[in-house]
Amino acid sequence: MKAKNVLMNWQELPIGGFILDAGSSVDYETGTWRTMKPVWHKEYCTNCLTCWVFCPEDAFVLKEGRRPSGKPRSEIQEINLFHCKGCGLCVRECPVNKKGQKTAIELATEKI
Amino acid sequence: MSRTVAITGNGAIAEAMRQINPDVVAAFPITPSTQVVEDFSQFVADGLVSTELVTVESEHSAMSACIGAAAAGGRVMTATSSCGMALMWEMLYVAASQRQPVVMTLVNRALSGPINIHADHSDSMGARDAGWLQLYSEDNQEAYDNLVMAPRIAEHLDIRLPVMVCLDGFIISHAVQTMKLEDDEAVRRFIGKFIPVYPLLDCAHPVTIGALDLQDYYIEHKRAQHQAIMSAKRVVQEISDEFAKSFGRNYGLFEAYRLEDAERVIVAINSVAGEVKEVVDALREKGEKVGLLKIRLFRPFPYEQIREALSGAKIVTVLDRSCSFGAYGPLFTEIRTALYDLPQKPMVYNRVYGLGGRDMLMNDIEAIFAESKQYQQNETVDKVFDFIGVRGD
Repeated sequence: MKAKNVLMNWQELPIGGFILDAGSSVDYETGTWRTMKPVWHKEYCTNCLTCWVFCPEDAFVLKEGRRPSGKPRSEIQEINLFHCKGCGLCVRECPVNKKGQKTAIELATEKI
Repeated sequence: MSRTVAITGNGAIAEAMRQINPDVVAAFPITPSTQVVEDFSQFVADGLVSTELVTVESEHSAMSACIGAAAAGGRVMTATSSCGMALMWEMLYVAASQRQPVVMTLVNRALSGPINIHADHSDSMGARDAGWLQLYSEDNQEAYDNLVMAPRIAEHLDIRLPVMVCLDGFIISHAVQTMKLEDDEAVRRFIGKFIPVYPLLDCAHPVTIGALDLQDYYIEHKRAQHQAIMSAKRVVQEISDEFAKSFGRNYGLFEAYRLEDAERVIVAINSVAGEVKEVVDALREKGEKVGLLKIRLFRPFPYEQIREALSGAKIVTVLDRSCSFGAYGPLFTEIRTALYDLPQKPMVYNRVYGLGGRDMLMNDIEAIFAESKQYQQNETVDKVFDFIGVRGD
């Protein structure tokens, strides 16, 4: 695979649709498949990482953070929209959303 | 040493498979191809080959197993007929698009329904767009020779596509003819060692096969696939020439039988070509300028070469042993397309015959030549398309 978003000509392709490099899906943009976009409300997020567990595209990017007690933990940094297909699993599984009081993540219409 | 043997078409195919000694054969027996796998399983049981014989539960599984074994890095063969290949349908396209050099004997038989077990070409003609190369065989010798050439063609690095070797059910598959069986070692030398391309069993170099292919790449892959099968016109000729050097029988992309000065030509495919040759010889004795163009390679279709070969003809009758319901016969459409670019086009018309194994007799072929003589004199073709050998007008 070449660099991101550079499409190969038919003469350059490996035989039979084979993919010769492991991990090539990292370079493959599936974000264009999206009709709805996840919008993350950081202020209501508890960083339980349920969304990160469920996401089929591994689109939740983590960073190192700290609990209020000071213990280290992983926290959501951002959503990688290059890979996110907008399936909405994160919205459905979010425990904050399920409680019904606040919305930590929701789907919004993509602007074209 | 080569031997002259009396053998059925199916027996000859099985002998070729024994000599080729493929790594894997996965098959599900179906009439009239049954004897191929029956004989071959005996060779496996007797230890004459080192092949892994996979007895599957359906033809869909047979082709799936063939694709898997080829992807793993093996030389793979199978055999089937008619509804058996129809059940493989989905996997035929997968084998071709994944560029797996599977070699399959297709003993031509009518598709249901009503159910029928005898020869016609509805099976292979229906599969003409699957991406497989198709080689057709007039007799037992040509079926055997085609199968010996098939792995070389399929495995050629410019092609790397599955090859279907077709022969008529019962007429060829079950009829005993004398033919030359080549020496085992000579056949193995001719075929050479199998060279795998990105085999799955090469664990040091893992690859992905069969990944989802969408709007951004599918058509590029199809374009490349088309290029590969178009290269086969050159490669089939080269391998055929090499075969002639090794074994003395010369084939090529098609056979031009007494075509040099022929005005009235029949274009035919598979076993009926033998009878047409007899009639051509008899009419030539009487001074009539008739000839036969026998199709061998139907996919890819050698348009340019056939156009050249038919450029001197005045009238061409194309015989189709299958019916594309609601359209002209599949062979006819190719021939008329090939002729369209000639400045002086011969008249060309289509006759469908022999469906479900209905005999094509010598006097049927004589009648065709008599009809084409009439059309030539009248300078017009009355019926572009018709059935022959059918009761009722």
